[in-house]
Order: sequence, then C-alpha cells, then structure tokens
Amino acid sequence: MTLLDQPALETPDHGTPPVLGEATAQVTVDGIGVLVPPGTSVMRAAKLAGVDIPKLCATDSLKAFGSCRLCLVEVEGIKGTPASCTTPCVDGMVVSTRTDQVAQLRRGVMELYLSDHPVDCPGCARGNCEMQELAHEVGVAEVRYGLGGASHLSEPVDESNPYFAYDPKACIVCSRCVRACSDIQQTFALTVEGRGFDARITPGGTDFLSSECVSCGACVQACPTDALTEKSVVSLGMPSRSVITTCAYCGVGCSFKAEVQGTGDGTRVVRMVPWKDGGANEGHSCVKGRFAYGYASHRDRQMEPMVRDSIDDEWRVVSWDEAIARVASGFLELRERYGAGAIGGISSSRCTNEEVYVVQKMVRAAFGNNNIDTCARVCHSPTGYGLNHAFGTSAGTQDFPSVDSADVMLVIGANPTDAHPVFASRMKRRMRAGAQVIVADPRRIDLVRSPHVEAALHLPVRPGTNVAFVNAMCHVIAVEGLYDEVFLRERCDDVDGYLEFIARPEHSPEATEGETGIPASDLRTAARLYAAGPNSAIYYGLGVTEHSQGSTMVMGMANLAMLTGNLGREGVGVNPLRGQNNVQGSCDMGSFPHELPGYRHVSRPEVREIYESLWGVTIQAEPGLRIPNMFDSALGGSFKGLYVQGEDIAQSDPNTQHVEAALRAMELVVVHDLFLNETARFAHVFLPGASFLEKDGTFTNAERRINRVRPVMPSRVGKDEWQVVCEIATAMGYPMSYAAPSEIMDEIAATTPTFAGVSFARLDAEGSMQWPVTDAAPHGTPTMHVGSFVRGKGQLTPTVYVPTTERANRRYPLVLTTGRILSQYNVGAQTRRTPNDTWHPEDVLEIHPSDAELRGISSGDVVELSSRVGRTELTAVVSERMPAGVVYTTFHHPVTGANVVTTENSDWATNCPEYKVTAVQVMVTTEAARAASLESVEASVGGKRGERVPDDVMATATEAMARRR
Amino acid sequence: MSHEVPPVVRLGHDLVRNFEPLGPEKAAYEIATHIRKFWEARMRADLAARVRSGDPTLHPLLVRAAQDLVDDDYDRAEVSESSGG
Repeated sequence: MTLLDQPALETPDHGTPPVLGEATAQVTVDGIGVLVPPGTSVMRAAKLAGVDIPKLCATDSLKAFGSCRLCLVEVEGIKGTPASCTTPCVDGMVVSTRTDQVAQLRRGVMELYLSDHPVDCPGCARGNCEMQELAHEVGVAEVRYGLGGASHLSEPVDESNPYFAYDPKACIVCSRCVRACSDIQQTFALTVEGRGFDARITPGGTDFLSSECVSCGACVQACPTDALTEKSVVSLGMPSRSVITTCAYCGVGCSFKAEVQGTGDGTRVVRMVPWKDGGANEGHSCVKGRFAYGYASHRDRQMEPMVRDSIDDEWRVVSWDEAIARVASGFLELRERYGAGAIGGISSSRCTNEEVYVVQKMVRAAFGNNNIDTCARVCHSPTGYGLNHAFGTSAGTQDFPSVDSADVMLVIGANPTDAHPVFASRMKRRMRAGAQVIVADPRRIDLVRSPHVEAALHLPVRPGTNVAFVNAMCHVIAVEGLYDEVFLRERCDDVDGYLEFIARPEHSPEATEGETGIPASDLRTAARLYAAGPNSAIYYGLGVTEHSQGSTMVMGMANLAMLTGNLGREGVGVNPLRGQNNVQGSCDMGSFPHELPGYRHVSRPEVREIYESLWGVTIQAEPGLRIPNMFDSALGGSFKGLYVQGEDIAQSDPNTQHVEAALRAMELVVVHDLFLNETARFAHVFLPGASFLEKDGTFTNAERRINRVRPVMPSRVGKDEWQVVCEIATAMGYPMSYAAPSEIMDEIAATTPTFAGVSFARLDAEGSMQWPVTDAAPHGTPTMHVGSFVRGKGQLTPTVYVPTTERANRRYPLVLTTGRILSQYNVGAQTRRTPNDTWHPEDVLEIHPSDAELRGISSGDVVELSSRVGRTELTAVVSERMPAGVVYTTFHHPVTGANVVTTENSDWATNCPEYKVTAVQVMVTTEAARAASLESVEASVGGKRGERVPDDVMATATEAMARRR
Repeated sequence: MSHEVPPVVRLGHDLVRNFEPLGPEKAAYEIATHIRKFWEARMRADLAARVRSGDPTLHPLLVRAAQDLVDDDYDRAEVSESSGG
C-alpha cells in the first residue's frame, strides 16, 4: 500500500470494528462469497465483499448501535429484516441487501429522517453531509411527511468551541457523537436529551466550551451530517486531497490525514483527521493534534533569515546565503580563536530523525567535537540511562496496544489525560473493562477519578521521594514472597544481593511512610495488587525522571517489573510516556555528547571507525558537553558559540537567570526555529525553520514506532532544515549533502544496527515499524525482551534512596512541582499561537486550601512565587487536587516564566533537571490581602502573633508587597 | 547556597551522595568511572586542578575518585558500554 500524498480523501468505512480471529465463516452477500472471522457483522462482511449497505448510525470506529434502521437486510433462515450492523456472521450465512422489501423499508426510514432535516442544509451543499447522497442511494423521490426540519429550526447554533460548531438543525440524533465521546474518548461529555422530535444532543445542559468536552474532535469526525462541523470547513470549504503524516506534539505520535486544498505554495490545510490505520492512535486524536496546527501559518512566524552584530541591535533581514556564511564564518572564527571545544549544538525532539541526525553529524564532522546534546536532556535522559542499565535498551518495552492486556496499571509521575490524551483514552477504556489502576502522584489527577473510571488506589507520593516509594513496593513483594522466583533465577543478575538489599527494614512501608507521605497500609495494598497482576504494567512520565534520583527511580521501576516477572510479553512492561513527539528518535540518533547513533559510546574505536570511514573525518573519542555543562562552560569563558535547533532553552531549561547569563556570555548564538522565541533574544543569527506540515522524514514515538512525516506543503521558508544544516557544514569546509531525506535514513540504517531494516520505502509499505528492525525482526519489534533481555540477563540494582538536597525549610516551606495542561504544549510556542489559549490563557498556581488559607490566598489572587534562585507572579487557583505543602504550575507561558524559580539541581547520572522539586514560598500580592498575608507569614515560619519574624522572611514578604504596589 | 558552588563540585558531590553507600573504595571507583564516561575533558581538568590546589570544600570521596582518574583506575569496560542517557 502506498500512502504517499493520496489524491483520494475517502477512507473506507466498514461500518463496524473488525473482529479478531481466524476467518473461518464463509458468508455470501448478494451472491458474492467472503470469508470472515465468526462474529463479524454482516455490514462489515458485505463491505469486504464489495457491497455497500446504507448506514447512518454505524461507523467502524464504534461498536454497532442498531438505531438508524437503514442497514436492514434479509438473511436466509432468519425471520424479518435484521440490522446488518448488529447481526453477526456465522458460517454458511446467505445475505441479501437489495431486495424490494429492504429497499422499501429503507425509503420509508429515509423519508422520516429527511422530514426533520433542513432543505437548505449547508452541509449537503458543501458535501459534508451524508443525507443527500444516502437519499439518492436508497431511492427517495418524495417525502410524504413534509420537508424542512421544522422541529429544530429555532435552535441556535453552538459556536462556543473555537474549532467546531454544533447545529441542532442538521442533527439526526444518530448518537454517533455521544458514543464517540464515551467509547473512543471516554469523557462522557455528551448525551441525548429529550425524546422523539424533541431529542437533541447536549454537552450536559450547557454549551460545548463550558462543558466537560475536551475538544478531541471525535464527535465531529463521527458525525454523519453537518451538525458537528469544523469551523475551518465552513470557512474554507471541503478539502480536495489528503496526505498521511504524523503529529508534531506529544510522544504518542498520532498519524493524521492532513486534508488540504490547493497544491504547492498555494496549499491550505482544511482539517486534520486522525488516521484510523495509524498504529499509535488508531483513528483518535486530541485537541492539540486535531485542531492546533494554525501556528504554522501564524503571523509571528519568521520567514526570512536575520542577523545582528549584537543582541542589543535590531535584526537585519538577509539572504540565506549571507546567513549561512555568517554562521559558518562565526563558528570557524570561534574554533580558531578558542579551540574546537568552544562551540556546540543542541538538537530538538520536535525535529525529524533525519534533521537530528544531520545536526549531530555537523557537530561531530564540521565542528570537530562531541558538543551535541538534545532537549531529551531535560526530560527523559534518565529513562535512557535507567532502562539501558537494567535491560540493555534505552526505550520502553511495549507497544501501546499492550495496555489492552494489562490487569493492573501503575501510573506514576504521569498525567496521561493532559499530557498523552490519546493514550489516556486507551487506558480509561481498559479501566472500564476491569483493569485496576494505582496512581502514584502528588496531585489527584483525572485518572484517580473521572466519569466511569476510578483508580483502585491513589498514593500521593511526596515530591522527591519516588525511590523510597518504589523500594517500599519491592520490599513488600520480596518480604511477603510475592516475587516470581523462576523469572528472577532464569532471567536476572544479582538476584540474591538485591533480595538481601530490598528486604532490609529501612525499605519497609512503615519505615518510609514518614518520608513518602504514603500510609504503610496503602502501600502494602498497592504492592500486593501489582504483584498479583497477573499482567501488571508501569506507565510513567516526567514525574519520575525530573528528579535528582531520576535514573535511580527508573532502575527501581525496572527492579519492580523484574521482581514480579512483568516483562517480555503483552500487558506488562516499563513504559515511559515520552514528552515530545520525537524524544525517542532524537536520542536514538546520536544526540548525546558521549554516544554515536544507536547509543554507542564515542570511546569505542570500532564504532568511530564506521563513521570515520563514511564521513572522512576523525571523530573525537572524548565525550562532549551536556546542555547544562555548555551553560556552565559559557559562564566560565570556554564555551563561545551555540547552534540551537527548535528548542527554547531560555524558557524551558531550569534557572532562567543562569541560562540567560550563559547565553549572554556567548559570542555567537544561532537559533533555528519557527518563531523569535525567548532564546532568540540572545541570538546573533536567526534561521527560519519549517513546520511539521512542511517536513519530510520520520518521527519515533514512545513505543519505538517509526512513523513517516510527509510534506503537506513545500517549505514556506525556501529551505528544509536538514538542507540548512548541510549548508552550514559545507560552508565550514565539511561538504555534506543529500538528495533527499530518504538518503539520510539510508545512512542511518547502514550505520545503526537497530535501524538496519528501515527505509522510507519500507515505512511507506508497512505504515510504521517499531525498532529494532533487523533481519531477525524484519517488521519491527512491538514487545521487547521476550525470552531474554537485550543485555542478556536483566540487571537488578540496589537502589539506595538518597534524599534531594532541595528541601522545604522555614524560608521556603512549600514544594513546587511543574507539569503540563491538556490544551498547551511545553513552552507554548505552538499552542499559544492557536485558539487553544481559550482554555489556558495563562499559567496558574494550584495550591491546597489549607496552604491558601494560611496565606490569605483566594482563587484569582495574584501571588508571588519565590525560590532561592528567583521569583515570579501567577494567578492562584485553590485546589483540592493538591496535597498540603505542594504547589503546582505549568511552564507554557513566558510571561510567568515558571523556570525563573526552578534550580540547577539535577539527576546525578544524566543532569536531567530536578524540575519536580523546588522549595518555594507563596505570598499573596494583591493589596487587599496584604495584612492577612503578613500575619500568615509569621504563622508559616512558626512564630506566634506579635513575635518577631526572621528578618529575611519578612523582607521577602514586604518586598513582594511593595513591588506589587 | 548550592548554586554558588562551582559546577564540577556540585556535580561531583551529586555522584558522591549517590555512590557513598557502596563504601569508600567501590564508591570512588564508580565515581571515577562515571566521570570518565560522561564528563568532558575540561570538566575533568577543572576537578583535577581543584584537587591539586587542595580545595577544602571537596568531599574526600571525590578527591579519591579524582586520584583514581589520574591513576587510570576505573572500569574501562563500563566506560565503553552504552548508557543511553
């Protein structure tokens, strides 16, 4: 199957979902024989036989409902005219879909529908409504009951959602949208209200924007009429062609059908429709992927290269040639003056594998050093380190469908409904099917309890104590004999040493509950539940990695999985939920300063030889600088020039003042991005980048799935990013060129064993593949470590809990932890330039009611958030979701700059910042609450009313008040 | 305050805290191996200079690890192994 730039927009709809199993039922439909798995619907079997049965309430993304009565058929040996969508096939069945009786019934049903459908339906006119075509198909010549849909003509259109409208006049109450919301998205925001002609769809008695709707768009996609329609379709009209590509937001890596008008530079995206054959998302999406693509054509986007001599100068637009020459000469001059180690580059997880690969090649071959790092440094580098240490591979162990076989899920340090919403829907579906969930998170996230799902346990682990928590889990399993002895003995190293370590009393739930905040009885219950499985899976996010013991915690979770034998099959595993779309890929591509592609250390001569012979240069055998090392070296005076691709380090990296000082200390900062971001304030050269709609390449998602990214339109800035990088390298004296990105992937495949079988042609043929793709696994590897680990035996590691040095104290008595919200993404460079700002126009500070009351804070107050490194102001939201003593914010908006307060503390192994633990104080800054706040300060530092408060604390409070006034 | 601590000292002491439970000999060996595997040359040189100058803020384990580096006493096989982080 070739998926490239499909001219056809229509994707076949088989009416009902497939049934798994061997095709053993021989069915005859209108004389055509077809072999299907028993239980397949007659409607689906007919479609497979090439026979279309009219339908309105059926679509193959939803279970059959059997309400519209259009799909009636006759079946030999069965009385009446059953609905084909709800009638399962059995061997020998003979079906007739076009008898006179069936035709007459369908005409009658269709007449009834048309009697309540507007004559001037705009959807019918633009081709976005199935009614007109169906009426023609079933042969309706007249409507005996009258036309016009009079019963709903007075209903107002709900335009509240920024992306789609609901017009009750066009609605036929088929319930597809309601079922999409409940069965696909699992949100239950929609319902049918009223009966008969009064029946209408409603998002809970309010408008869509005010409702619990999460704007995933599943209802819009399911709607067979124009009732739920994208506003872009209304304003632009229907698309004329489509391109299958991959979302550029989170690590789920959803496949989309970009439906567009026009060609070449005149291409306009009409809508993004999740592709149902996408391996990661299977036809679902979230509000970001489906709707928030408008940033690609936002007026803020920079379309031309710019330079300036000083960061205090105005930008000057220049040609590409001049910009590239400036970059090349600048880096060469710095190298000449200060040595090869004075320059480096940072690649981005928002760029393709091919783009990332050429950046590390430029640094190693043209810059002449290993000063290449990637933004995974600040998110999932501990995942790579910990999983490699335990299993031998720096990646998650499962594919996403694996969760469908999980009996118990331990969700720790992740908030999937906000950060990985499409996978979260899959998790919720599994929860509704009976899987038990343990949520370990300081906050009461939505998975703890939301409509129709409830976690078995919520363990509000105190920030910074994850290792103590996981050790306690393992302790219970070890001491109570709940471990898998056979698995341990056959598949793991250092079993006895580990069991002796973890059985020590200091790891017991009773000993650790003072540290973790988790009651011992709850922890014991959780450990027993996880151990009982039988299939227990761990899903985790940045709440695990962004700690001073992030890598240790990853190893601790690996211990837990090995201890219970929960590896090497479906339904189990240790699964990182990656933050950005290509975090996995950017790591795979040799973006770390100590490793070449495929995670091979630069000290290995046989690995360097592969690249040295291919590239014709000498590769340095010494590790280069990590991102924080670059900043430190810049401030130390030995690092002078930096190329930054698609990452806004001045907003995303911790301790903003430190980062900004480092950038100011450099003599050449080159920013390659869509927008003049915060980092560009310190740049000397700006190179305009290409959006994902313009890219040709691949992304690798959290399940190691390599997906194609196909250009929907040509680069709007005249060059592809990989070309720009090649031209910089060439201008520096190292010729680097490729005819197309496919050649870059060919080079990756030729030099990286786990990618050996990957090529654009194979990806186009197979849809996607999960690495390793090798001779032994030519179609990829959905589940890792089956039978044995990549490293041979799994490594059990004594994970000693070492408390972070960042502790709450009298001056900073609260702990700040940071995260994401559904509608925004990372630093917000993309989503802030879309209507997604409707839902989250600013970062807010969530605070527990008791902490708020102590400080005289009410929701809506502006508060000052201060740490030992900085301070900022946010609007407070008093929230029961927070535990006492912990506050929470996001870092989507530069105006608040949450990272002004985060510190330079980091994971001991990888230097991933400790974003999740910052000791802070929160003070109300609104005038009205000033007096109350100052009194509360006294109380919060332990003083009695009227007693003296320590000068430094009072000074902080008073200064804050003064600044606000 | 820790942000005023020189970077290599702060990073080195992070390693000390992590490996200290292994006992002095093993811990110094592991710290030296980690530094050899991940630290860029100028960072190692900075640490070595601080050890030579007798920086009193350095933890004894970090000093011992720095000496192991000078003596080439670290796990070469581990250094060349993949780490993925």
